[in-house]
Amino acid sequence: MPAVIETQKLTKVYESSFRSQDVRALQDLDLTIDSGEIFGYLGPNGSGKTTTIKLLLGLIFPTSGTMRILGSDDIGAAAVKRRIGYLPEGAYYPDFLRGEEVLRFYGHLYGLGGSDLTRRIDKTIETVGMTGARKRMIRGYSKGMRQRIGLAQALLSDPDLLILDEPTTGLDPIARKEIRDILSNLRDQGKTLLISSHELLEVELISNRVGILYNGVLQTIGTVDELLTQRDVLIHITDPTGGLIAKLNTAGLHVEDATATKMVVRVPENLSVYDALEICRAEKATIQSIAPRRETLEELFVRVVGAAENKTLA
Amino acid sequence: MSEVASFVRGTWTIAVYTWREGMRKKILMAILIFSVLVIAGSNFMTSFLTQVTPVGEIDMQAKQMKDLCVTAISIFGVLITIFISASVVPSEVENKVIYTVLSKPVRRFQYLLGKFAGVQLIVILNLILMTALFFVALYLKERIMPTLLLWSTLLTYFEFLIVSAFTFALSCAATSAVLPTIAGLFIYITGNLTEYLKDVFAKSGQTELWIDKMIGYISLGLYQILPNLQNFSLKNQILYLASNDPPRDILLPNLIAYGLLYAVAGYVMAYWIFRRKEM
Repeated sequence: MPAVIETQKLTKVYESSFRSQDVRALQDLDLTIDSGEIFGYLGPNGSGKTTTIKLLLGLIFPTSGTMRILGSDDIGAAAVKRRIGYLPEGAYYPDFLRGEEVLRFYGHLYGLGGSDLTRRIDKTIETVGMTGARKRMIRGYSKGMRQRIGLAQALLSDPDLLILDEPTTGLDPIARKEIRDILSNLRDQGKTLLISSHELLEVELISNRVGILYNGVLQTIGTVDELLTQRDVLIHITDPTGGLIAKLNTAGLHVEDATATKMVVRVPENLSVYDALEICRAEKATIQSIAPRRETLEELFVRVVGAAENKTLA
Repeated sequence: MSEVASFVRGTWTIAVYTWREGMRKKILMAILIFSVLVIAGSNFMTSFLTQVTPVGEIDMQAKQMKDLCVTAISIFGVLITIFISASVVPSEVENKVIYTVLSKPVRRFQYLLGKFAGVQLIVILNLILMTALFFVALYLKERIMPTLLLWSTLLTYFEFLIVSAFTFALSCAATSAVLPTIAGLFIYITGNLTEYLKDVFAKSGQTELWIDKMIGYISLGLYQILPNLQNFSLKNQILYLASNDPPRDILLPNLIAYGLLYAVAGYVMAYWIFRRKEM
């Protein structure tokens, strides 16, 4: 599968007047995103996600390292940019224009015009579910509608690569679901997506691969299945006795959601489920169910970022 | 679509968008409305000023009216020019529209050209509006076609073009419109005072002190480099010649070439700053 994005040792340093105050926003990033992938690019605020995106789009310039996008070294070339759609975080769209006028403006920048542009506008507006609001002024749009019109301008040229910076941040659950459905459809159409987001659940639901960035350094990268390797076991218990919790804790097991009548015991991957069951049996607790539980992306994120933070502090 | 047609369409799209957005700025509208009120009310205002001079009252009134209108066009016109030239690029960086535009197949050169053209559309439109009002007011006063005013407006535009180009260039390096606006005012004032620099050079060296000579040479250097905006002023001719006289003692093509040369220099400077600007 050909690489759509390829960076080698990509580094960005924001220089200040004093060398000691230089900010190393991105350091030696080696990243490859293949055609048809949905790549979730994660990291806390200030970790270098937006810097990476700006570098890929030629909005800022690398201090060192190389980039190739869609097989080309010249990322400023019109032929390359025509194949990229970009949705920035919190972008403004002129509120004196109607939804379809915004798309016409961006369409002209792509060099599109006439019936071809009109056809593409119709199709894109339908894709993002804005048919009913296309003739309304932007100033009357909700945040979710603005985000959808932003997505529409990114999709207008039917790009091979979509770069989305926080596409669902600040949206209500229904709008988030709608955007997620649109992105899933694009995945099914074979588009390559780079999604930078704080919404870890969203990313987990639609991404093939994820990378976690901290302090400008890529901490981990892989498919969701590869990374979410920690698998705990949950034991649901009813009628727990008083001494059970103490014994479980002593054995290193985590007791969650404990009430007088029921509780959940989480057995970490490195401990034996049989030992946990033996303790429960000895205490005459009733076992309702035993189920495996995969680590969530959020837990992985906290674990990876936490470890990187500790390493930095040490 | 050919690359050239695509380039022209993209540039024109940015220019029209800049014009539409610029014309909605409240401060610009306020300046424009105020200038329109001054010009439209000039006849009324000058009628009070000339009440005590019965001899040649009509001529005096017309002269004062012309003075008021030419000054109003210069002041309000340059304020609009500076404000809009200083703000179009920084405001787009601030609201992130520039991210979506530059991520499209738009070269930085093309983007700047579109923005600059949009600024010129605003400046020209405002100048036409103010001149049209003055033209009508003067025609109603004198009942002759004030064609000299049209020549004056043409030259005033080239004066504004120079101020606009350098203000625009400085705005490309700025993060807000404040500093480029101040710099634009400085350019306008300095450009109108360059004749004084020649006087400084002529009078330097009288004390035989090296600093005196150095100031003289610096003044001469600045005089040679800075645009002389006074070249574009036909104010005295408007005040003292008949309104339908042709302009005198000026080489119009040379002045236009002079204005264009400085405008191109300003644009090249803007591009040189902007081509490696980090967003």
